[in-house]
Amino acid sequence: MSRPAPCPVYTLRGAGAPLNTLHFRCSGGDSPLLFSGSAKGAVHIWNLKSRRAERVLEGHGSNSVIWVSTLQTADTLISQGRDMRVCLWDLTEGRIEALDSVWTGSVGFCQCSVLETSPSSYLLAFAGPQTEEIKIIEMPSKNPVCTLTPDTKLGMVMCVQLWKPDSGLGPLLLAGYEDGSLLLWDVTQRSELSRVKAHPEPVMCLTFDPGRLRGVSGSCEKKLSSWMLDGQNHIQLQDCVTLVNPGISQLCVRSDGRLLASAGWDHRVRVFGWKKLQPLAVLHYHTDMALSVAFSDHQDPKQRLLAAGSKDQRISLWSIYNQNADTC
Amino acid sequence: MALGSVSSEVRLKVAQCFRSLSSSADHTDVFDALETLNSYLDDGAESSSTAAEREEFRRTQYTRTLRVLVGQLQAHWTHSLSAAQRSKLWDPLFLKGPPDQALLVLMEAVTQLRPSAGLDRLVSVTERFLQSGRLADLLWSFCLRSVPPDSAQLRETLLARLAALPDLTANRLHPNNRPLFTPQRFYPLLASEMLAALERICRALRDGVDCSLTFVAQTLGKVCLQGHSGLVLGVMAPRLAVCTRSDVVWQRVSWRLLQDVPERCMESVLTGLLQVADSSDTFSRIAGNLVLTNKKAQFVLTHKVLLLQYKYETQVLRTVLGYLASDRDRRPLLIQVLRSVSQAWANPSAVKHTPQEQQLYVSKTLLLAASLLTDAELQELRSDLLQCLLDGMQSHLDSSAVGIRTLGMVVGECLSARMDLNGAKLKFEYDQNEETRELLSLMTPSVCDPDPDPEPDPHPDSEAADGSEATRESSQVKSPSQRSKSDPDSDLDSDDDLPPYDMSGDVEASRAAPPRYLRDCLEALISSDDSQRVEFSLRAAESLVRRNVFAAKEISVQMTKVLLHMEDKFSVSGFLVLRQAAMVALTAVDSVPVTQFLTTEFYSLNYSLRQRLDILEVLALAAQELSKPAADKITAAASELTPYQSNSAASWRQEVEKRIQNKTKRISKGSAQPGAGAAPNRYAPVAGYFFFPLLRNYDKPEVTFDLLGSDHLVLGRLIHTLGLFMHLAVNAPIAAQMGAALLDFVWAVRYHADQTVRRGVLFAICSVFLSMPSQALMMDLSQQLMETRTWLADVAEADPDADCRSLAVQSLVLLDQNLKKQLQNPNGLSVES
Repeated sequence: MSRPAPCPVYTLRGAGAPLNTLHFRCSGGDSPLLFSGSAKGAVHIWNLKSRRAERVLEGHGSNSVIWVSTLQTADTLISQGRDMRVCLWDLTEGRIEALDSVWTGSVGFCQCSVLETSPSSYLLAFAGPQTEEIKIIEMPSKNPVCTLTPDTKLGMVMCVQLWKPDSGLGPLLLAGYEDGSLLLWDVTQRSELSRVKAHPEPVMCLTFDPGRLRGVSGSCEKKLSSWMLDGQNHIQLQDCVTLVNPGISQLCVRSDGRLLASAGWDHRVRVFGWKKLQPLAVLHYHTDMALSVAFSDHQDPKQRLLAAGSKDQRISLWSIYNQNADTC
Repeated sequence: MALGSVSSEVRLKVAQCFRSLSSSADHTDVFDALETLNSYLDDGAESSSTAAEREEFRRTQYTRTLRVLVGQLQAHWTHSLSAAQRSKLWDPLFLKGPPDQALLVLMEAVTQLRPSAGLDRLVSVTERFLQSGRLADLLWSFCLRSVPPDSAQLRETLLARLAALPDLTANRLHPNNRPLFTPQRFYPLLASEMLAALERICRALRDGVDCSLTFVAQTLGKVCLQGHSGLVLGVMAPRLAVCTRSDVVWQRVSWRLLQDVPERCMESVLTGLLQVADSSDTFSRIAGNLVLTNKKAQFVLTHKVLLLQYKYETQVLRTVLGYLASDRDRRPLLIQVLRSVSQAWANPSAVKHTPQEQQLYVSKTLLLAASLLTDAELQELRSDLLQCLLDGMQSHLDSSAVGIRTLGMVVGECLSARMDLNGAKLKFEYDQNEETRELLSLMTPSVCDPDPDPEPDPHPDSEAADGSEATRESSQVKSPSQRSKSDPDSDLDSDDDLPPYDMSGDVEASRAAPPRYLRDCLEALISSDDSQRVEFSLRAAESLVRRNVFAAKEISVQMTKVLLHMEDKFSVSGFLVLRQAAMVALTAVDSVPVTQFLTTEFYSLNYSLRQRLDILEVLALAAQELSKPAADKITAAASELTPYQSNSAASWRQEVEKRIQNKTKRISKGSAQPGAGAAPNRYAPVAGYFFFPLLRNYDKPEVTFDLLGSDHLVLGRLIHTLGLFMHLAVNAPIAAQMGAALLDFVWAVRYHADQTVRRGVLFAICSVFLSMPSQALMMDLSQQLMETRTWLADVAEADPDADCRSLAVQSLVLLDQNLKKQLQNPNGLSVES
């Protein structure tokens, strides 16, 4: 008999709005933090020791915040809102100051992607004002690096992910489009490397594991599509995982490359083994669509958490598969 | 003159021998006499008698001689013969003479003698007579004789003796009969002797000698007529089939043989031959164009086997029709057969009044015949067939028996496909079963025609099969090993160290929530356009009704009405079952008002047949539920609600029970089962509400509902349901009144044309006999019982439907049991007197 389905370790309430995005920062010296972006435009900073919201940042008017992230090297928070702006916040020594903002011009829901190229600079990829356009700029100088536009009509950009391959090439970018296509771009060459039609419906989310050169993407259908990059940087579709209910809003791979979590429209968070995409658990707590999911970056593997944010205005935190092949 | 002198001389000599046999005390005289007699039978060159003398002896003196010998069986000299002397002097007299006379005398003697050593000797001689092939000689002797003078009567007797030899010997020798005389041994022997005779005839014909086959044919006919066709033809047909393959003389002999079979035996010979012939090809080689020359054969093959009888296997049908189809001269007969069979198939009266097995048989014939037609013939017959198809389909589909409807559908499909009606094809939905598959397979010409040459050894074939099997096996053995080889690679990359959690809770998400209150449920059922809500309400309805009895009683009638009128708008899976379960629950919970409502609605206007049938089903199921002990239901429900507690309670009980058992000493084992707990019968008080209102209006035809007319399907169900109510009301006080009313009711429809109605009637009668107290049955209904009894006996014998017959027998048995019980019961008698 398999173990009964797990329960959340604790939940965070009080955001007062659906939680579109989650981001952990636990590796720093002081108490571990969780950042969340809500549909009312607030970025909450949760202290995971006291389990309270330490501070609330209101930087996007009351427009929905769709993405938050931090930089490893500098104490900087980046948040993206539906007001077509990306804001930078300084977090050093407990300060909260809006440093700068970038105008994206995108009316869509595409989350940005950030790639730190050196301790002082990083690349930011976001959807541009034109339908199929992706812009990449170098921060903090805001120098545009390139604009990537496919030669055929693919609809809006839905999701992007930047990464730098080990082979020493320039940074690459994966992008999912409205018609279900998945494109691999070479940022330095500004050329399209590969293209597959991964879904019949828009690509809602994707995640990519640069270590294994594998990724998955979700759509509003009942399956997850998995794919991998071969030596020539071609995307090869692999087998799908069929789900019970349709609709995936976000996917996340744990940093040790063992687990994949998906936030489903059916209120449930699903956990898969990342190697074979074998279903492992169904986390059922929320009473509305799960919108975001994130794994924490704790140094100690035993403390690692899984967080899920939902439209029911709550964040649930789970401790799952932390000891080696043992219970939660 | 010379002839006369020879005859008198022979007579004198023979008389002398007889004298010495009967009176002489000296054994040497006897031996001399026997030798003299033997010499008349000896054809060899060293014989002491002339050919004329021998001929004379055989003709006139032989039978007398044998009779004298049989008469002297008790004489002293007979006993003193040594074994060698007997086989040299005595036996040859029986074995070498004309076989017909010998057989007659032997049979006569066997039937007359008392059990004795003499009889044993005769039986041994008879055995040797049969074993030494004398029967073939006998048959052959009749083939040569052009016109036997002593003909008719002698022949007739001889035939009778020959055919009945096993019977005669068995009657006489019963405990000590010889194995050779049993039918299983004798008839195959006779068959091979007939074949031997036929072989000789063939040889003679090749030599230009005329022969007559009449006697052999008569023998064959006689034996078959007596019911031994299987044994005889089982031996003859395969040999004939082989011989007639290439030999023209054999063919002619075989055809002639069948032609000479007497008319009254023709049928048994032909049917026997049909059953043992393995293909139509064989049959047509053996029988030739018999069907064209012999009226009787034509009648049997084109009419009797196909339309009047229905006991034969499909292979027989294939043989007959294939035979008719295989020759140009016979093809008109095939067309004629197809015409008559299609008429028989389409006949509405036949559909109603013949047994289903026969209809299946006729359908098979029709399909087979249609599949054998060429396209040109089909064009010619097209209008006839189409007419038959339309009429027949209608009468079949009108039938209330499922089997007959299916038959109509299958035949309709096959025929329409065969006729190719401008590309239009009939297509029905029916359940595939053994029968339909067989019917469908008839349309494809049989591929399993036995190969034309049975001689070659089948071994190489089987060896090849073995070989292929072996290779297949080896490949099967290989494949797992291959798999196991490939397995380790994938092991490196598995998630095996991550044990999955229980994921059974991961089910289709549903958008709406099931209703929690009965009134919400009703509301949703009445007005909702949301398919999800309706489905949930329907699913929840039964449990809501049962959980909250008081709320259910408030709205039971209204809810029943809603459910009865509900349509499956959203094609909810399991709609009918759910609706029915909810209605049954309502009826069980609040019986009186709901049954009043339902029984009134049953006879009212504007309901479809489906709804009326639904009403009956709901009532029947509810009655069944009520009549079951209620305690079971409650404990079951309790255990469903709190499985943990009830389990622990049970285990606690078991534990205590076990301890008591361990401490108790038992002298003898009684019944260990605890008696079933007593519970009140919830059905008995309300049985009348279920039953009587349904009897009320059956003979008032409405515009939409004519129970005694076209809606006999509902009538059948109604009577069946009433029978069920009656059956469930056993031991209820009201059972006597119900029984009387039910008997009255079914009396009017007992000769209904539809079999489902008759079945229902018989079921109802059965349940009356089962449930009514026998005392009430005998006293109140004694008049009717007598009539019912005669009617049941009539049905048991003559009804075309097998179910009806067996039900009638069942009822008769029940009635008799009731009578017996009543007669044995002294109380009952005193009351009656």
